This record gives sequence, structure tokens and C-alpha cells, in this order.
Amino acid sequence: MSNKEYYLSNANFSELVKKLLAEARVIAPVEFNGRNILEEIREDSISNINLSGYRTVESFKSYIFKLIEQVSSYFGTDISPKPPKYVFLGARGCDTSSIEVLDNVYLEGPLKDTFYEANRKNITIISADCADCGKTCFCTMVNGKPYAIKMFDLNFSPMPNGFLVEVGSDRGREIVDKNPGLFTDAEAGMGKEKVVNRQKVLDRLAEINAGFKLKLELCEIHKRNIENKYWKVLTKDCVECSACNFICPTCTCFVLLDHKTTEGGKRDKVWDACLKSGYAKVAGGANARGKLYERLQNRYQCKFDYSYDRQGRYTCVGCGRCIDGCAGNIDMRKIFVELERQVPLTAKLK
Amino acid sequence: MEQNNYRPIKAKIENVITETSNIKTFVIKPEEPISFLAGQFMQVTVPGMGESPFTPSSDPKHAESIEFTVMKAGSVTVKLHSMKPGEYVGLRGPFGKPYPISDFHGKDIYVVGGGVGLAPLRALLFALFHELDHLNKIEVRFGSRSPNDISYKDAIPEWAKRPKTNINITVDMGDPSWKGNVGLVTTILKDGDVNVKNAVAIVCGPPIMMKFVNKRLLDMSFEPKDIFLSMEKNMSCGIGKCFHCNLGHFLCCKDGPVFTWEQIKDIPEPW
Repeated sequence: MSNKEYYLSNANFSELVKKLLAEARVIAPVEFNGRNILEEIREDSISNINLSGYRTVESFKSYIFKLIEQVSSYFGTDISPKPPKYVFLGARGCDTSSIEVLDNVYLEGPLKDTFYEANRKNITIISADCADCGKTCFCTMVNGKPYAIKMFDLNFSPMPNGFLVEVGSDRGREIVDKNPGLFTDAEAGMGKEKVVNRQKVLDRLAEINAGFKLKLELCEIHKRNIENKYWKVLTKDCVECSACNFICPTCTCFVLLDHKTTEGGKRDKVWDACLKSGYAKVAGGANARGKLYERLQNRYQCKFDYSYDRQGRYTCVGCGRCIDGCAGNIDMRKIFVELERQVPLTAKLK
Repeated sequence: MEQNNYRPIKAKIENVITETSNIKTFVIKPEEPISFLAGQFMQVTVPGMGESPFTPSSDPKHAESIEFTVMKAGSVTVKLHSMKPGEYVGLRGPFGKPYPISDFHGKDIYVVGGGVGLAPLRALLFALFHELDHLNKIEVRFGSRSPNDISYKDAIPEWAKRPKTNINITVDMGDPSWKGNVGLVTTILKDGDVNVKNAVAIVCGPPIMMKFVNKRLLDMSFEPKDIFLSMEKNMSCGIGKCFHCNLGHFLCCKDGPVFTWEQIKDIPEPW
């Protein structure tokens, strides 16, 4: 992509959303009780869109990896995916990073998830830099940034009375080209202002997470603690509610559930949670992770060890939603610190 | 449209063979062609009820009809056991990696099974019998709870007549008619059965049996890379997406279900 950037005024932003609404459903953050949540935008609610602040309470995941999605009708004529077009407007750095994780899982290998693929193809991502961060945000601890680095079609950086717009894909280019009156050339100094604004949020993140400084890489901390019984202690506050699984933008687990029909059956793909006791149970009763601490540990190993081996990256994006959602007030960052303290006791790197 | 990997192919139950009090073999004819290699598994759908993963027990060379030897264990298998010839099930797959049989050429093959674990090994044995010219010998060691719990009672004496093939069966509890060994399968794994410097061991059975057989094989000086273990995990999607079957950083459905001990030896309690 060319590095040329554009300016979009607030007035033209509303016009752009109107244009987008003519072709797709637009999901964007709106303010609700002092927090940003996602909402489907209509023409009369464009003014509610709020791109200030930081990530929304929930992630965009459920629009591409649905809570329940029918994936087969057997043995008659099978169903094929017919997803609507969506624009994810105001996705943050953690949101775009999480979509990369979903892509890495569902689109990887010769056997794809064709339903996810169809949903994903119909998504346009217009990301927005975080203008602030929450108390539980820790993207920078997992190699993330409070702004999108990739995976976006357009990226909006806040400017006085508008946005500085970066083009990230052919689809993004098309939006700019189709709306020449709305996007104007960026003014001198805007690029610099963007860098300054981003640094302010980075500084704020460093301040918030000052108490969780780690010396070792997270993958090393987790690999070294794989046989550590201290996980039992770390799990004492977990009540197995699985809120962390369900609020997580990168938890990809699901289960296939069948229902009887006259022709045979229908098959749904339904979100599942690795913290649930029956998750790894097999017929006959054997359970690979029968104890809660084994399941909590597995969740951490999955994000910071196993997926690191599989995808070459952490599959935690540091959004902190699991911390906000935890009924037992478990803070992932505190677990990292505790685990790192345990490392000398269990030093054994495979 | 791209292939829907979640869709089961309609398949007719042609025959049901009662093997033991809780094990039946289902002969299933898929309506669309499917082929598989020994070691790969498939998802069998009981319509409207759900799926369970099984490794076919029949000869991979003859996939017009595929056989599955199934122990009654959970809701799907209980329902399957009540089904009759003429009824329909669904098939998805095959999934996972096959045994690297061409790598076994020139070697002794030590096949160790326990209980219903003989089912996948039967498909392997058929595949090995096709390659007998290239193999040194096949030594089969099989453990069962009692003489009545042995599957393929008619076929086993036939296999034993094959050239280069020896079969030894043990039971945990004998009965008056039982002439063979009594004891766990580890008691019939003897030093000298195979030349461990030029052999592979292929193991399938309940987790606890695999754990102790693996330990015995290591004691016999098998190299970890020469021990092939069939890992039983909760495979659901079969295509490496749902993560139910994770075994450390591996996904059993995609990277397995057969692993060498070398691959999984660093995973705490992989069984």
C-alpha cells in the first residue's frame, strides 16, 4: 500500500458511514454507562458512534465466529453460508490482532472452516487508534500496540475535528477512491501529531502496567512452569464460570452439536469453553484435564506456549477483557508475575 | 462452493457383527466414495444425536465398505449399538496422519494392543500384510480382560497363519477353557521378541495400558522415535479448529492421532 494518508473531517465521517450503510451493516462503538459497547449503527444513530476512549466491553468476534452457527443439514440438500456484509468500524489494535489469531486457526491448512471463511470475506475493517486505555489494558505486554499495525482496510487516527486516514488494503483503497469528495489530502504535521498521540497512550499503558514488569519472555515463563503444581494455588479464586473464555476475542474453541430433523439432522457449531469440566472428557469417562487447575493452566499454556509454537505469536492480545469479566478477580498480569517468581524453583526448559 | 468439512456423508449400515458383550463391528457403505489410510480416523454420525471419532478396523485397500469396531461407552455408541442393518449413519473424514508404513520397510514390527484398541490395529495389520515382502516380521501382542472380551475371534487364527507373523494373546482373567497366558499385556512383552535396534512398536489401547506398555518398551531399549502411540482425545471437528483434542501444542486430530513417544515425551502425563 502507498504511504499516502488522507484527512477525513467529522462532517465527512458521517457522510462516509451513510455510504457504508448503503452496502453493509456497520458495527461500531457507542457509549453506554460510561463504557464503549458495540452496536449496529443505523442512519439515525450515526451521531452515537464514539471512536474516542479504548476498546469496547465485548469484541467483534461474535460477528465472524458466531455464538451458534448452523454448519450442516444432513442428509438432504446441505446449507451453504450466506453471510451479510459487515463493516467493523472502530476496531482497536487488540481487535485487529485478535482477528489475525482467528484467521490463523480457521483458515489454516487444507481443511478450512468454510463458514468462518465466508463470514470473514464479507468483513471490512476500519480500525481506530486508542485515544486512551483502560486499567486492565496490557497489549504492550504481549507484543501489541494500542493502534492497528496490520489487518485493517482503513485506519483512523484522531485529529482535531476529524481523522488522519491510513489505507491498509485494496478494499480500503476502493473506499477512498469511491468517495473522492470526502477524503482530502492530509495536512502537514498531522503525521507527527499521530505519532505524539500514540506515544501518549503508550506512556499511559506503561504507567498502568508498571507493577507487572517481567524479565523473561511470557512463552519462557509458561514453558518453564509446565509441571508446576503452584497452578493449584493460582486457581484458588477461579469459579469455573468461563467468562474469560466467552469474553476473549481469541478463544476459538467450539463444539459441534446435532439436532434431529426429518431428513437426518442439523449440525450447529457452538462456542465452547476449555474451563468447563467436560471439555476434554471422552466417552467412558477418562478426562485429560479433570481438575480445574489443569484447565486454567491449559488456558494459559494455550495462549502463551502452545499457540506460540503453532502460530509464532501469543494468542492473547492483551485486551484485558478476561480481567474485567472474571468473577474471581483473577488478573492475568498478576499470574505472570507470580509464575515468573516460581521459575527458579521449577527451572527446566524443554 | 468449497467443500463443507462439517457435512457427514450418508452411509448405510450393511451388517452388524457382535464381537463381545459390549463390542460390535459395523460394516458401513458410504454413498460417496471415501478412502483412508491405516492410522487415520473418521467421525461417525448417529443422525440427530452427534458424532464420535473411530479409526476404521477394515482393510484400507477395500473402502467401498468400511468397518468400525465400536465399544459401547457413551451416548453416541449406546445408540449406535441399537442400530440395525439398513439404517443410516454419517461419515466425515478421514482425518489425521496415517502410519508411515513405507518407513517400516526392512524392520521388525511389534504390534501391541489392548481391549478395543485392537480395532485400529486390525486396519494396520491388513495394510502390513499387503507389504509383507518388505517387512522382516510382525509380532502381535494383545491383551484382553477375559477370553470372552476378545474381538475378531475367528480372524485371529487366520492372521497367525500368515508368513512372518506371530500372535500372542493374554487375558487378565482366564476361564477353564483358556490355554493361553494370564496376566497384563506387559507380561508377554519379552526381550528378544524383536530386534529393538531395527524395529518399530505400534501401540493402541486404553490410556493406562499405553502408559505401562510404553514404559516396558523403553525398558526393552526401544528408541522413543520408534514407538508409535494412538492417542485417545476428545476429537470433535477433526480439522484442527475446535481445539478439544489438544495434547500440549499438538492437536490430536490434525497432528495425530498417532504420535511417536519422541514427539510427546515432554508433555506431562499425556495419557
